[in-house]
This record gives sequence, C-alpha cells and structure tokens, in this order.
Amino acid sequence: MLQVHDVRKAYGDVQALTGASLEVAAGNIVSLLGRNGAGKSTLLSIIAGLVRADHGSVVVDGIDVIAKPKQATGLVGIAPQHTGIYPPLSVRENLEFFGELAGLRSTERRSQANVTAERLGLTALLDRKAMKLSGGEARRLHTACALVHRPKVLMLDEPTVGADVTTRAQIIEAVRDLATEGAAILYTTHYLPEVEALDASIVVIDSGRVLTTGTRAELIAAHRTAGIRFETSTPLTTDLLVQLRATEVSANVYQVDGVTDLAAVFRQLTDAGVAVASIAALTPDLESVFTAITGATLVEAPA
Amino acid sequence: MNSIVAIVKQQFLILRRDPWFLMIMFLMPLVVMPLFKKTMAFSLQASGYANATGAEQVVPGQVVMFGFFVGGSSGFCLFREHGWRTWDRLRASSASSRAVLIGFVFPWIVIVTIFQVVLLSVGGLILGLRLNGGSPIAELLVVIGYASCVVTLVMLVAATLRTVNQVNAFQNVGAMAFAGLGGALVPVAQLPAWARAVGPITPAYWAMKGHNAVFLERGGVSDVVVPVAVLLGASAVLLAVATFRFRVDETKQFFA
Repeated sequence: MLQVHDVRKAYGDVQALTGASLEVAAGNIVSLLGRNGAGKSTLLSIIAGLVRADHGSVVVDGIDVIAKPKQATGLVGIAPQHTGIYPPLSVRENLEFFGELAGLRSTERRSQANVTAERLGLTALLDRKAMKLSGGEARRLHTACALVHRPKVLMLDEPTVGADVTTRAQIIEAVRDLATEGAAILYTTHYLPEVEALDASIVVIDSGRVLTTGTRAELIAAHRTAGIRFETSTPLTTDLLVQLRATEVSANVYQVDGVTDLAAVFRQLTDAGVAVASIAALTPDLESVFTAITGATLVEAPA
Repeated sequence: MNSIVAIVKQQFLILRRDPWFLMIMFLMPLVVMPLFKKTMAFSLQASGYANATGAEQVVPGQVVMFGFFVGGSSGFCLFREHGWRTWDRLRASSASSRAVLIGFVFPWIVIVTIFQVVLLSVGGLILGLRLNGGSPIAELLVVIGYASCVVTLVMLVAATLRTVNQVNAFQNVGAMAFAGLGGALVPVAQLPAWARAVGPITPAYWAMKGHNAVFLERGGVSDVVVPVAVLLGASAVLLAVATFRFRVDETKQFFA
C-alpha cells in the first residue's frame, strides 16, 4: 500500500533524510522508532505531500506522491505531531470539515463523523466546542480528524504525546481496529510499550537513515545482549567491581555484560562476603535493542 | 470545487461563533458619524453642494474606513490556521493552494459587502441620508467593488507578510491612511494638492467617487462604471498577484 524508496531531503546543510526506504502493507502497522531529529517527521511530511523530497519515490496505492501529490491526498490521513483542530468549532464540525475536504458527501460525512467519534470515545462530546475539550479529548479529536475519511494510509506522528492512560488506550485500540479493516498505518512514538501493544513491525531510523526493520521478536533475537543484573545490600568494593567487570547501574544495582553464567557470578559475590538482594539474567527489550542498534537511548518526548 | 465550498462554509461558521467583532465594528462608526455631520455639511456646501446635509460624506466615509477595518481582518485567517496548527492539515488535504486562497477570500467579500450595506442603511436612517434619485443598484455595485478590492489587497499583503502583527499594522494604518487620502474623512476637494495627487492609488478614493456619484450627483449605474471598473479590475489583479505570491510552505507567525 505504501512504498518509500531511497528518499532524501536536506534543509540547507542539514541532511534530514539520507536515503530512507520502507514499506507498509495493507492491514499492517509499522512503528517508526527514532530519536528526536532522526528524520521521522520529515519522512511523514514527505509521504503526506507537505514537504518535497530531493530524491527518491513515495508510492501510495500505486500513485506517485512526489509527482502527483494532490492525487494521493484522499488516500492518506495524517495527524501531525502538534494538536491541530479548530477551537471555535464543535467536535462534529471539526470531523465533518475534514471529511468534506476529503470529498465525503453530506450523509457519509455525518455517519463517518459518528463512527469515528465512537471509535475514539468522543460520541458524548460531539456537540462540544473543541476549545472546551480537555487535553486528552483534544488529542483524540486531533487523531480522529486524520481518520474520518477512512484513509488507506494513516500516519500518526506521536499521537499519544501528553495523553493520559485512557486516551492512549483509546488511540491504540482505534489504530488496531483500522489496521484490522485494512489500513496501512505508520506510527511514530517514543513510548515503547505502545509499539508492543500495537504488535507493530518496527523500523528504526537514525540520522535520516533506516537502520533496521523487523518484528519485535526478530529485532530482539538479532540484537539481544547477554548480561546479568544484581542488587546488593551494600556497595561493592572497587576491586570486586574490576574482578567481576561490573558496572553500577544505580545505587547498589550492578550489571555484568556479555556473561550468562548466573551461578558463577552469584558464587563470586557470596565468596566475597557480599549479601545479594536479587540477581537475574538481563531480559532483552526494545529499549536495549534500540540502544544496541543506534548507540543511543530512546527517551519519551516531554508531555 | 468541493474543497472551496468546505472552506467557505467553515469560514462563515467560525465568524458566526464570534459575532462580537462585527458588532463592535458596526457600532463604532455609528457613534462617530453624528459627531462630524455638521462639519461635513459645511465642507460639502463649500465644495458646491448647497443642499448637502453632511450625511452624504460622513456616512459613506465611515463605511469606507470601517469597511477596510473589517476587510483587513480577512488577512488573519491565514495566520490563524498557523496558530491553531491546522495549516498543515489543510495542506495535506485535497485542497489546492488556490482553493484555500479563494476559500478565504470569498466569504470576506460577502461579509464586507453585507457590513457596508447594513451600515449605510442604519447610518443613513439615523443621519437622514437619502438616495434622492440615486440608483441603489449603482450603490450596491460600488459596495461590492470596494469589498472585493479591500479583501484581495489584504490577502496579497497577508500572503506576503510573515507575522500577524505586520498584517494588523497594515490593517490599522491602511484603514486610516487610505480613508484620509481617498476622501473618506473629508471631501477630496478639501485635501491638499499632494493628497489629491496620491488619492487615486487608494481603494477609498474610487469607493468615495462612486458614493458621491450616487448620493451627491443622483447618479445611476452608468455614473459609477469607472470607479466600479477600477475597483473590480484592481481586485482581479490583486488576486492574481496574491495567488502567484502565495506560498503554502511558508511559515507564518500568529500572535505569540
């Protein structure tokens, strides 16, 4: 449904994208993971026709977006990073406006506004002005405006930033439903539990380049790092730290990388007279995979 | 076409949610008009209109000045979209940049036209302004021509400037300067020579020429052909230049 090939974009001397390629099939959710400034939003903007790529191709349902940007607009829905809604208009008026812009006829517009509001828990708020919505409600409306015309490709740029737990859950549920109905979804986030909740395929992007792609399980299998983490009741001596080749993670919590023999580490500690509060093999997760791939941590954007 | 209709409807809807702006713009000239009626009567009589009451100058004059204030607000719609962060959503829609511009321009031409008609009617009623044989159709043409010219001029300015404060400054200074130079505050004949020379570059000058033809000369449609043609012609040129100048990917700054 969506094919992006070797897309490059520079803003002056700054290379925002240096050859990004990815594909999203109908019914699939792809999560774009990357630090701030990695090129995620630029890539989404190019796919949405907001920014012109310097090189490469973007094809949505067979239409070349770069050559014919307006032809693909009805097929694409985008919820940009910042909440963008019309404060003086009601929730229904916001939804129907974006539906009308996408070419929905009057009856369809109304019914789609109802369906979309239901999907994102906005039904009771349909007649409320957007300026009177809470932050979470406004965020849901912002997302709803992107999917009111049932786009074939839906792009959500950090849709849950600043959202409460309920809003997060509702957005994730709506995204999963849309994928089930056949939409291709590109979803950027810094919040890794969302990626797991969406069961999304992952594309890791850094410095404008796609570094790797795969499912969560594939990435963890490919990039897992062995290690043991333990907590002691007293701090370790420098000699023992060197002997174990351990690093201190936090107060009295240590980590030994590249080691899998849990019993041997435990024995060394007890032989040295250290009281061990807990000890466990490291469980690889997306965060550690991301760090292994990019050499950096993925922190959630401030709300 | 669908997207133009959608944007036009939405602009009217947004304006309907804040009618106070138009109410204030409507009441203010009604307060000002009686203050200058007598002075304008002397001015018009000195200019050769022995039976003038002053209403023939002060009512259309204030309509022209406040019509510019109202039309000047049309420029804010572009910036408001940036402030509400809906601009990128509009751009990502199927609406072309031309559709967006026309969608913003058209409702404001209608609004400025209605504003002028209502203000002329109410102001005229209060101050005793009569057509006295002048053509109402000719007057309506002048009003529409002026509304088109003001709104397209402001759209060109909004398409060119980067911040809403700049547009705001143009709106305020433009309304008063153009009204002064165009003969909306005092009759053109009373202006200094340099102002009379500059006046014809302002929309207010041609609007007042049309109003004078109807209210002072009891003119018909044929008597306002030139001012209306100038105003509509200028509108077409201004809209064409605004469309050419309009860059959808340009960042605009709304009130900080």
